[in-house]
Amino acid sequence: MKETDIISSGLLELFVMGKTNESETEQVLQWIKEYPLVKQEVDTIELAMEQYALAHAVTPKQEVKIKLFESVNNQPGFTANVIPDASTKIKSINSRWKMVAAASVIIMILSSIGTYVIYNKYKKLDQKMAMVIEKEKTSGSQLDMILTSNTESIQLKGTAFSPASTAKIFWAKNTGDVYVAPSGLPETPVGMQYQLWAIIDGKPVDAGMILSNSSGDKYHIQKMKSFGKAEAFAITLETQGGNATPTMDKMYVIAKVI
Amino acid sequence: MPETELNDNLLQSTKTYSEQELLLSLRNGDQSALSYLYDYYGGALNNVILNMIKDEGLCEDILQETFLKIWNNIKLYDENKGRLFTWMRTIACNLAMDKLRSKDYKKRKLISGDETMASLKDDEHTNVDSFIAKSDMQNRMSKLESQQRLIINLSYFEGYTQEQIAAALSMPLGTVKTKIRTAIISLRKTFNIN
Repeated sequence: MKETDIISSGLLELFVMGKTNESETEQVLQWIKEYPLVKQEVDTIELAMEQYALAHAVTPKQEVKIKLFESVNNQPGFTANVIPDASTKIKSINSRWKMVAAASVIIMILSSIGTYVIYNKYKKLDQKMAMVIEKEKTSGSQLDMILTSNTESIQLKGTAFSPASTAKIFWAKNTGDVYVAPSGLPETPVGMQYQLWAIIDGKPVDAGMILSNSSGDKYHIQKMKSFGKAEAFAITLETQGGNATPTMDKMYVIAKVI
Repeated sequence: MPETELNDNLLQSTKTYSEQELLLSLRNGDQSALSYLYDYYGGALNNVILNMIKDEGLCEDILQETFLKIWNNIKLYDENKGRLFTWMRTIACNLAMDKLRSKDYKKRKLISGDETMASLKDDEHTNVDSFIAKSDMQNRMSKLESQQRLIINLSYFEGYTQEQIAAALSMPLGTVKTKIRTAIISLRKTFNIN
């Protein structure tokens, strides 16, 4: 295979992502040794993916680092890979034919259960993947929306009632689209829901309900009602489905639009 | 070691390293090199794990385990086979995959009920953080075509195989491969890596 063919095959990218099987991996490693151009290409792909991963970094809590160094310092001097000794168990079964017969029946039953379980797992995986794709799609388009220069981002701060709460509004000034990122709000009690309000000419106007069912939807950035103008945004806790006027003593966050 | 001392000595790495120096120091058992490694790559690996596991607590455990394994096995890393980060990411992915297959994890999922939805909240939360903190980077990233981004993310962060991606997006396997390549080429342009 020519170097250029190897490079354009798409296999090097999969290799860097860890998606090649054992023989493909061996093959790529051989090419890297043999062809400097292939090595250079793999280096470049690795660097690009590394930058991509760094750009998506999510800083872990500081406790993790503390724990890491604790375990580094508390390890026993030598850590070997322990290979579990399975031979003894198998021997004791083998010694009795009766046990073998019983075991084979059990294995048959287990394997048919296994097939069923695997089938179900695949079905589940499919559903899960569909959801991830849906989520990626929406977060992608929301990301595009949020990143346009016309979008103003407004940090809503906790009120005296709930000082630790926060939320964020992304307001596209050209289209009036309003998105809310409510991840800094506490869990809602059963039967209650957060409601967003836009304050216009000194009066609160309903800006929509923030989805907050038990499945954690509240944490998603979500599109609310659109507004051409507003002096402030606020979020209150209301009964499920919302109210026509805000419950002022249950206001969690607020921010003026500057 | 008292926590304050830990804080002073290791929790702020002030020195910077080249990859060569870093490797040499790690192989010599220098803990401040580990501290630097963690500061530099911890967030990136955390995201990789979080995308696969979708459970902040478990993710922290795996992240810690990953760095412990890196530290203990650094002598096994062969720089002729690829960059340090690629090797570290493989360790993180393998540990996350082990966890996903473990009884412990499955039990936990049963208890938490609606697994997928409940788990999505965490990375949505981190998305919000990255909008704010990394707007410049994200701006550049948003130039990636959305389908390219989808395929890269599914493959690199969510840990799906090309077969799964092909089936889910109803496209031939070859197309997935080509799209991954095209996406990485545009990434390289984005980061000016040639």
